Amino acid sequence: MPESFLDRASTVAPPDYERFSVPPAALAVHLSIGQVYAFSTFNLPLTKLIGIHHSAPGDWKLTDVGWTFSIAIVMLGLSAAVFGRWVERAGPRKSMFTAAVCFGGGFIVAAVGIHFHWLSLLYLGYGVLGGCGLGIGYISPVSTLIKWFPDRPGMATGIAIMGFGGGALIAAPLSLKLIEHFRTAVSNGVVETFVTMGVIYFMFMMIGVYSVRVPAADWRPPGWVAPVKPRPLVTEASVAVDAAWRTPQFWLLWGVLCMNVTAGIGVLGQASPMIQEIFSGRVTPAAAAGFVGLLSLFNMGGRFVWAAVSDYLGRRRTYTVFFGLGILLYSAVPSLGHLGSISLFVAAFAVILSMYGGGFATIPAYLRDIFGTMHVGAIHGRLLTAWSVAGLLGPVLVNYIREYQIGGGVPKAQAYSVTMYIMCALLLIGLLCNLGMRPVDQKFHFRAAKLPA
Amino acid sequence: MKGRLIALWLAVGLPLAWGVMKTLANAAKLFR
Repeated sequence: MPESFLDRASTVAPPDYERFSVPPAALAVHLSIGQVYAFSTFNLPLTKLIGIHHSAPGDWKLTDVGWTFSIAIVMLGLSAAVFGRWVERAGPRKSMFTAAVCFGGGFIVAAVGIHFHWLSLLYLGYGVLGGCGLGIGYISPVSTLIKWFPDRPGMATGIAIMGFGGGALIAAPLSLKLIEHFRTAVSNGVVETFVTMGVIYFMFMMIGVYSVRVPAADWRPPGWVAPVKPRPLVTEASVAVDAAWRTPQFWLLWGVLCMNVTAGIGVLGQASPMIQEIFSGRVTPAAAAGFVGLLSLFNMGGRFVWAAVSDYLGRRRTYTVFFGLGILLYSAVPSLGHLGSISLFVAAFAVILSMYGGGFATIPAYLRDIFGTMHVGAIHGRLLTAWSVAGLLGPVLVNYIREYQIGGGVPKAQAYSVTMYIMCALLLIGLLCNLGMRPVDQKFHFRAAKLPA
Repeated sequence: MKGRLIALWLAVGLPLAWGVMKTLANAAKLFR
């Protein structure tokens, strides 16, 4: 493949290019890397590589395998932060291609590690290399979408980030089908599944690589005129990535994302045991799995709906709704549990998880509003470190508080009440960060004769 | 251009629709 094909200059769209071709290009990448949320489908098979039908002496332990997912998520945040500037410079096609090589290659390296039963190679392949693919792939279409949709940046990035939520919905049944297909008397089919998924995801991400385009520097949507009247908290200036993280606004948004994600991710990880313990004897494990699936759907749908709504409501108001409604719903959960209403309980968490997804999907447009379009992808990359922190904080808070409560003699059905109130406190911190948002001081604005296209 | 646009949306939309259907079928167990 000639290198020029991947260069930013080769991706400038012709005048008649249809801008709605860009969201599916972004979706091809995000639907692929969203597979990471379904990694747990490999957990048990990876502990039965020697025993095939059961764990044998020498097989990996579940706790060992569980680190693969954690490493991948930490690498997502780190690589997005480190490679954000390169992604802006290289353009979407080269960065999507790099993400495809890392993510698809990560599966192949991990398959070699599984074949030879080298745990470190599984960590290195899926966790480190695949994790870099996650981070680079996650931010690669963001600034391109914002430039194509200056009139609806929330909706455009919402479509892409919805794909990250939807990726697990495809990957979970696909993984199970492939494992079933490749299972033999001497293999549980995981190695072959990893190789197949590596190839499938690489090819699927290439749809994005081939179809993505950047708009010409002077391109505007037909009939669209930039608003003449300045809108509150929407800047027409630009802030460079190195200046952005020195502003209080960056850290307020970091707090907004971290608190919103912490509150949602802890619940998402514990959803199945939580509903079974709160409604003991009334919810079977199969029904609990259905509850988790339903939450994943709302997590995905919320990403598009809330991000699109934010284009009309404004970013600060949208997050105020997330935090305000979130506090109300979390504080109502213990009462809904006491009432014994499964439907109301499920409905409350469905809305909570839609706002969790919405928080992820609306943040790129919020960053664009506050820091301008110039380095929005790179700034987004640095902000994703909040996700890494929340990924550790959320589950730890939910698990440890629950253990502490049960250890103190609190019945299992009531052990989540304190957790819910702590989630309310986290959301209150997020709300204060959001309400403290003000325009960036002009001294941080980028001043140059010409901004890069 | 229109054909390319439709093909692109189908390429990403069909796998997603398949995943959503599978998840909905699973979620229905909650209300049985």
